[in-house]
Amino acid sequence: MKNKDSALAPLTPAVLHILLALSTEERHGYGIMKQVAADSEGKVKMGPGTLYGSVGRMLEAGLIEESDKRVDPEMDDERRIYYKITGEGQAALGAEVARYRGVVALAEGRLSYEN
Amino acid sequence: MRTDVAVRRYRVWYAVLLRLYPRPFHERFGEGMEQTFHDLCRERREAKRGLLGFALWIVFETSIGIIRENTSRMTQMSKTVLRVALVALGLLMVPLVASQVVEGWNWGVGGFVFTYVLFFGTGLAFALIARKMNAWTYKAGVGLALVAGFAMGWANMVHMSESENHSYLAYLGVLAVGGVGAWLARLEAGGLAGVLFAMAAMLVVVGVIVGSPDVPPLVVRNRLIGHVVFVGMFASAGLLFRQGSR
Repeated sequence: MKNKDSALAPLTPAVLHILLALSTEERHGYGIMKQVAADSEGKVKMGPGTLYGSVGRMLEAGLIEESDKRVDPEMDDERRIYYKITGEGQAALGAEVARYRGVVALAEGRLSYEN
Repeated sequence: MRTDVAVRRYRVWYAVLLRLYPRPFHERFGEGMEQTFHDLCRERREAKRGLLGFALWIVFETSIGIIRENTSRMTQMSKTVLRVALVALGLLMVPLVASQVVEGWNWGVGGFVFTYVLFFGTGLAFALIARKMNAWTYKAGVGLALVAGFAMGWANMVHMSESENHSYLAYLGVLAVGGVGAWLARLEAGGLAGVLFAMAAMLVVVGVIVGSPDVPPLVVRNRLIGHVVFVGMFASAGLLFRQGSR
């Protein structure tokens, strides 16, 4: 069931990283993992259990959707399901980034005041 | 080459592990998870890094996911059961209050327990079957069929308790056809439409068979009205299912 407030709710770290990975292009499961690892410079290690559990909840919330099942030319000849970010997903990502900006601004203000 | 064999073997074992996920989750993501696991193992192999420790970590991480998904599913199921139990309890208040104010209404404890089981069973059947499909026509069809089946079964049992006429058992046959038909149709809308139409037709036939010439005209009239109502309900449910199957 889609949750209309999902775009406003804070995101879990896994969901945030998956949305970031999908913000530039459609990716399959392994592609998402590789992008998350690259984005976090190897600091975030996501296994298939976490990835697909999050993907299931994100599909339900309408943040992402399944795209075509197709072969990745850079890999083998197995057909893979690709995932893409939706408008709601972009809104959720934007809201989360804005929240982070607010926290960073607050923290910077306090740190400069203390210094 | 040896590592290729190991990767393939690990993939087979991983596929077995994935079967522990709830069935809908496994059907939707099982193949993708298997592919991702295979890709990760191949990446390790190409980097000439050990596979066993990595595979064990993935198995551990996936096992946590399996527990989480199963727990979340069980929680949803428990909520559904609790909700149905409360609604059934609310409905039981009607005969409970009525037995206090209506003269001659003398149900024993067994009667109330039986009624509660009927309410709860019907409600739970609706909740479990209706959530298979999102189409309102399917949900409405399930609701109408269950209400008709419940009311017919109830009326029939009352008649049987007051009469020695065993021909009423034929009505239970109509319900049995519905139950077996729903199972055979695997609750698919198209199949259920056929089952409901068959029940409506069978009810007409049973009405003709059970009808007896020495019954008072008032009873015949009431019985006819009852048949028309139930046939109409079963046929309407069939039409809803047929609409839902398109």
